[in-house]
Amino acid sequence: MMNIPCPFCGPRNEAEFAFGGPVKPHRPDPNAVSEVEWTQYITTVPNPLGPVEERWWHVKGCGTWLTIWRDTRTHDIVEGPGDAG
Amino acid sequence: MTYDAKIDRLPIFALFDLKGPQEALSKWAKDTPAFPKGPNKLTHKASATLCHIGPRRWLLRDDLENEATWSASLNPEEAPADISIVRVSDTQTFFRITGPDASEVMSIGCTLDLHPAVFADDAVSYTEFFGCKALVLRCEHGFDCAVEQSFGNMIKDFLNRATA
Repeated sequence: MMNIPCPFCGPRNEAEFAFGGPVKPHRPDPNAVSEVEWTQYITTVPNPLGPVEERWWHVKGCGTWLTIWRDTRTHDIVEGPGDAG
Repeated sequence: MTYDAKIDRLPIFALFDLKGPQEALSKWAKDTPAFPKGPNKLTHKASATLCHIGPRRWLLRDDLENEATWSASLNPEEAPADISIVRVSDTQTFFRITGPDASEVMSIGCTLDLHPAVFADDAVSYTEFFGCKALVLRCEHGFDCAVEQSFGNMIKDFLNRATA
């Protein structure tokens, strides 16, 4: 069970949250990229072995949407790589 | 094992959902208790309680007989465009769990740490209670817990089973 840091409520149990999916990369201009790149954008969900940026909704709490980096190997909430997160 | 706790389903309260910038709300809603100083805190004034339950969101609770007075005072129809005031009295059912084992009963259905060192007398929060979204606050010798009206009978059943 994860303890997710809500910016309003502080750390809360994962059960209070709804998973909002991984943060998708920036939407490319469909006219400026190849069909392969566009198809990859609309069909491929980020699923790395390691830190992934995710959206979570504090649905049973204050209602805040938040973004965290979660390590898919350990479920630890980690710092984002580089200047992200 | 039984718990030494008393479960009461409380009558409906007057409830108003206040949303918007605190400055604008405090200018408009002058008769409310003082706005709490931090998130998930509450303040009292006479029988009224003002709970800070979310970013730019507060819940005003008072006895039902004061609902008309609050409606007149808050005057939701004339409120400025940047704030929202909605009467939600009939949407929530409150349960009062009191007694020496009140915190034990709460811990069955609620993942929140309710120790007084963490969840003090002026604390209030939405959290999970028997799988439902619930507002939890302290009362004398126990806790008040509000869930959506439609889940009231289910929660009552869960509480009865927990304390049977």
